[in-house]
Amino acid sequence: MKTMKTIQFIILIALFTGFSSCSNDDDEPLVAVESQTITNLQAQQAGGQGQPISGAFAKFDFLTGQTTESDSDWDIAFRGTSIIVNGGTSLGTIDEPERTGEGAAYIASGTMASVMEVTQDLFVQDSDTGYAITTGSGNGWYSYSGAPTYLITPIPGKILVFKTRDGRYAKVEILSYYENAPSEPNAFTDTSRVYTFNYVYQPNFGITTF
Amino acid sequence: MYSFSQGIQVDSINPVKLEQVFVTATRTNRFISTLPLPVHIISKRDIEQANSVRLNDILNEQTGLITVNDYGGGEGIQMQGLDSQYTLILVDGMPLVGRLAGTLDIKRLTTANIKKIEVVKGASSSLYGSDAMGGVINIITENPEKGFNVKLNYRLETFSTEDMSAVLNYKKAKFGWRAFLNKYSSNGFDLNPKTELKTVDPFVNYTFNLKTEYAFSKQSNFYLSLKYFNQNQDYNASAILRGESSINEWSSNLKFTREFNVKLSAYFEFYATVFKTDNYLINSENGTFFDSNYFDQQLIRPELRVQYKFNEVNELIGGIGYSHESLDRTNFSVQPEFNAPYVYLQYDSNLTNDINMIIGARFDSHNKYRSQFSPKAAVRYSLNKKWSLKGSVGYGFKAPDFRQLFFDFTNSTVGYTVLGFNVANSALAQLQSQGEIATLIISPSDLKNTLSPENSISTNIGVDYKLSPKLNFKVNFFRNNINDLIDTRVIANKTNGQNVFSYYNVNKVYTSGFEIDGKWKPLNQLKITGGYQLLFAKDKEAEAAFEKGDVYARKDPVSPAFQLKKEDYFGLFNRSRHMVNLKLYYMLPKWKAFANVRLTYRSKYGLLDSNGNNYLDVYDDFVEAYSILDFSINKTFYTNYSLNIGIDNLFNFTDPQNISNIPGRIIYAKLNINL
Repeated sequence: MKTMKTIQFIILIALFTGFSSCSNDDDEPLVAVESQTITNLQAQQAGGQGQPISGAFAKFDFLTGQTTESDSDWDIAFRGTSIIVNGGTSLGTIDEPERTGEGAAYIASGTMASVMEVTQDLFVQDSDTGYAITTGSGNGWYSYSGAPTYLITPIPGKILVFKTRDGRYAKVEILSYYENAPSEPNAFTDTSRVYTFNYVYQPNFGITTF
Repeated sequence: MYSFSQGIQVDSINPVKLEQVFVTATRTNRFISTLPLPVHIISKRDIEQANSVRLNDILNEQTGLITVNDYGGGEGIQMQGLDSQYTLILVDGMPLVGRLAGTLDIKRLTTANIKKIEVVKGASSSLYGSDAMGGVINIITENPEKGFNVKLNYRLETFSTEDMSAVLNYKKAKFGWRAFLNKYSSNGFDLNPKTELKTVDPFVNYTFNLKTEYAFSKQSNFYLSLKYFNQNQDYNASAILRGESSINEWSSNLKFTREFNVKLSAYFEFYATVFKTDNYLINSENGTFFDSNYFDQQLIRPELRVQYKFNEVNELIGGIGYSHESLDRTNFSVQPEFNAPYVYLQYDSNLTNDINMIIGARFDSHNKYRSQFSPKAAVRYSLNKKWSLKGSVGYGFKAPDFRQLFFDFTNSTVGYTVLGFNVANSALAQLQSQGEIATLIISPSDLKNTLSPENSISTNIGVDYKLSPKLNFKVNFFRNNINDLIDTRVIANKTNGQNVFSYYNVNKVYTSGFEIDGKWKPLNQLKITGGYQLLFAKDKEAEAAFEKGDVYARKDPVSPAFQLKKEDYFGLFNRSRHMVNLKLYYMLPKWKAFANVRLTYRSKYGLLDSNGNNYLDVYDDFVEAYSILDFSINKTFYTNYSLNIGIDNLFNFTDPQNISNIPGRIIYAKLNINL
């Protein structure tokens, strides 16, 4: 019985690999690449301004295209200006979720249209010394104007390239850090820590282009 | 002496005009017409005709000069596209101190006592050492004049602004003195009445100057000038936090002159100055103390200068001096002292009747940064009586200031920290031991070397054309290549999510362009002068980034980004590509009156990066171009009296959001009495 099962299993594997390797040649349709805009993703935090930062990260799942409360089925997460990936280890801040997947990230220079392929060598995971998406004004995805406008502005030409928790790929362009993505944001009157971003998700495993 | 015979011939056509003497370019009395450098004189008459009150009023009307507002409230001068930190301001040849955040506020100076203002453009560190990168502005005040006389004037203008001066002067034979007192006060103004704070709070200031001269003999002279400036201004941080800020400035300048013979003269000068500010804030609701800060800078500088004339056309000047500077202020963990001996030598020669040449160099030694050697060479060639060419190349530097070396400041409400280069390592170690540092971005060894002085090579090439005393113009092309510009960077992340900043040498910047100045007298009663400056001021690394295609922008803050092209880079902040001034003077002899209309124009400029790519590109928000028109009539009556009436900023231009130093239309009247 046991050998039968093993043989059956080997045949199944052979059939499957044969089938799937054929499928590429046979133009078996891939799942379409998803392009979406997410508006008003709330990424509030407590503390800051000299105090320790805390508060739950807003987790996002590219597969569903929605935020999630799940401890494991998330790809990236937002809190204030920090963006983390579900891969690597925690920096150890208060309320920071444990990493359960193989997520990673890097920041590419270009536009959503010009960043067309993933460069594997560039991927970095979060670690106990810093996030893959580096923080601070001018270091990562945003710049902070300081006085007199105190605005957080996404740096144009910064495309965040992600490896999802299960090894697929996505690219993200952050458009706004203020509620309803006002065309003339005002740091004093508009609610901040509210993300609007475009993303492209490649749902097919092993495909490194979008 | 020099080839001024040519100048006199030209001038003899118009006997009214006397040959002008210029001191700042060579530190000797030198006729301006043969100088090989781009220089400009603002005469007492220019200042009087423009009815200027403070130094910024008159400098703003000059070609290529603009005063730029600074967050600290000071108004500094921009020259050849270089910031106010890179222009040396002298009063009677002695440097002013008190650059609070790098900017020297020139509103501090009244124009009432000025005899003339000399402007040298281009790096002049070969004579003046640090700060003379963009150029030098030397304000020459009145000296005792023969006889006994009294001058009084009073001016009243919009916003209850009052300006009054009194001069008491006596000079006979060997001894002379002159006392000057000025009071300037204002209720300030408010460009934005909706906000709780005024744009400029009420203030009052006093300037006092006493000069004495004594001639021991025909060959030796003694001179002492004492100056005191005091200002008190309301200082309000919010509706509740209220207080006062005060400035006190003293200076004394002692000079001995000795002419040994026709060829050799020597000068000894001893200059000492103190600049102090004190600010405090009180919570007006409960009367408790909130905050205070102070700034106390001192400079002492003895200098010995020797002039040797080989003959009529060759002259050598050399100087040796010692500069001692100290600063005590809030947010400094140390009380730093700068000690800098220096020596300079300059040779001025007429190689032929048509060629004048100046070569010189200065060496500055310093206890806190690398020593500096600053050479300069300049040549002027007269093609004929109408045309002449001049060219000069010089080295300029600006020493790192006390703040860039010794600042130790943590913002109490936001939590970020700024550290001077020389204290960064120890302060960082202390923050680390207190557990406030999350990550170090640079390694401590990056802070081991010394911060280099910012330095530049400046080139000026010009053409002078003098058709007649009625029509002349000059063009000057300039290029300043600046290295080691000091900027701030993040050196560590703090556990509170904020950053630690420090200073470092990074940028290579250039400013280049040209300026044209012209004068035309179509009628005996009418004089028209005009000037234009074209300026490109750019960061070389930014230029390279645009060229490589590394810079992106959005048309709308929420639209997708696109790549910028090389020509989309606008340049440095706060620089206008075009600046124009046009002045029309009309004399009404029947009325014993002068009328004038003066126009200044400044093209658009950027104050900040509004689209988040850290560069100023053509898709950013700009401060719109503007022009200001001034008008005035000055009338003399009974010989000793004159009345000035005028309107500055006739069309009431304001830009409350971006330009806080233009208050709108100002109407004034001024009475002058000379006894």
